[in-house]
Amino acid sequence: MAIAYEKIPFAGTVKSPQKENEGMITGNWRTRRPILDAEKCMECQLCWISCPDSCVNLMTETSPITFNLKYCKGCGLCAEMCPVGAISLVPELDFEE
Amino acid sequence: MIKKDLFAEPGLKQITVWGRGVYENKEARDVVVSLTEAAALEGKYVQAWENYVDLPDRIYVPVRAYGKISSNPIESKYVYENEAPDIVVLTEETLVKGVDILAGIKPNATLIINSKRAPEYLFKFIKSNTENLAKIVTIDANNLSTSVITLSGAEGATDASGIGKGIGAPLAAAIVKATGIVSFNNLLDIIVNKSAARKAYDQAIIANVHDLIKTYA
Ligand code: SF4
Ligand code: SF4
Repeated sequence: MAIAYEKIPFAGTVKSPQKENEGMITGNWRTRRPILDAEKCMECQLCWISCPDSCVNLMTETSPITFNLKYCKGCGLCAEMCPVGAISLVPELDFEE
Repeated sequence: MIKKDLFAEPGLKQITVWGRGVYENKEARDVVVSLTEAAALEGKYVQAWENYVDLPDRIYVPVRAYGKISSNPIESKYVYENEAPDIVVLTEETLVKGVDILAGIKPNATLIINSKRAPEYLFKFIKSNTENLAKIVTIDANNLSTSVITLSGAEGATDASGIGKGIGAPLAAAIVKATGIVSFNNLLDIIVNKSAARKAYDQAIIANVHDLIKTYA
C-alpha cells in the first residue's frame, strides 16, 4: 500500500504539519542557490533529511530531488551533507529569475 | 494616524542600510554610526539605531540599520523606522532581489551597493519604487575589507569591536563620495579602516539611473 509521504500523519497521530507558511517566506534570505548535478546524484536523499527548512523535495519516480526556492535560505547544508558533491551553490544574482 | 508630511523637516536626511543577519549586522550598523558620528563633528543633529523588528541573530535574514542627519533639531526622533530614506545602502548585493529596498525613498535618492557587478545589471533586479532613484553606486567592499562577524553591539548592547573596521568603512566612503553627506576627512576621523575607505573613495562607481533606463529602453 503506497501512501505519499505527505499523507502520513506526523507521529502517526496528528495531521501532518504544513510544508509552507505564507507568513514567513524566507527565499529572500538566500544569497547562494543550491543547484543539483543529477548525473552525480546517487539518490540517497541525505539532502532532503538534512535541510533545516524542509526545502528539499523528495525525489519521485520521474524526477530527482528538487528545491523549494520560495523558502530555501541558501544555508548550504544540503551541499555540505551530500556525500558525492552533487549540489553546488551558485550566487543568486547569477540567475535573472 | 501618521501624517504624510511627518518627515518634511528641512535639512533632514535619512539613511537606511540593509544587511544580512549575523554576518553583516555590525557592518550595517557601522555605516550609519560612522556617518552620523562624522556629521556630529560638523555640528549636525544625528541619530543612529537598528530596526527593532528585524531578527539580527538569524543568518542571512534581511536586517536594517537607520541614520538621521539634520541641520536642525530632529523632530521625528521618536519615529523608529526611516519611512522616506534619501540614501539606501546594501551591504550585500543579493538584497536587490526580492526585498523592497526602495520603499518610500525621497526624490533624488541614492542607492549604494556592495558589489563588483555593473550598476545596470543590479538595477534590472529592482522591481518597485525606482521612480525617485537618481543614482546607483557600486563598490566592491569585500575586496577592500572583511566583514566583522559579531553580535557585539547588536540590539543596543555595547560594541567592543571598533567602528568601521570591516566593510562598513568602504561603504561609508562610497556614500560620502556620491552624496557629500559629510566631509571625507571627518569620516576618516571616525572609522578604523582608513586605507579601505580611501581606496573605496577612489574606486566607487557612480551611475546615473536616468542613463541606465535609456540603455534598457
Ligand atoms: S541551501 Fe539550506 S535551506 Fe536551501 S535547500 Fe539546502 S539545506 Fe535547505
Ligand atoms: S545528498 Fe546528494 S546524492 Fe544524496 S540525494 Fe541529495 S543530491 Fe543526491
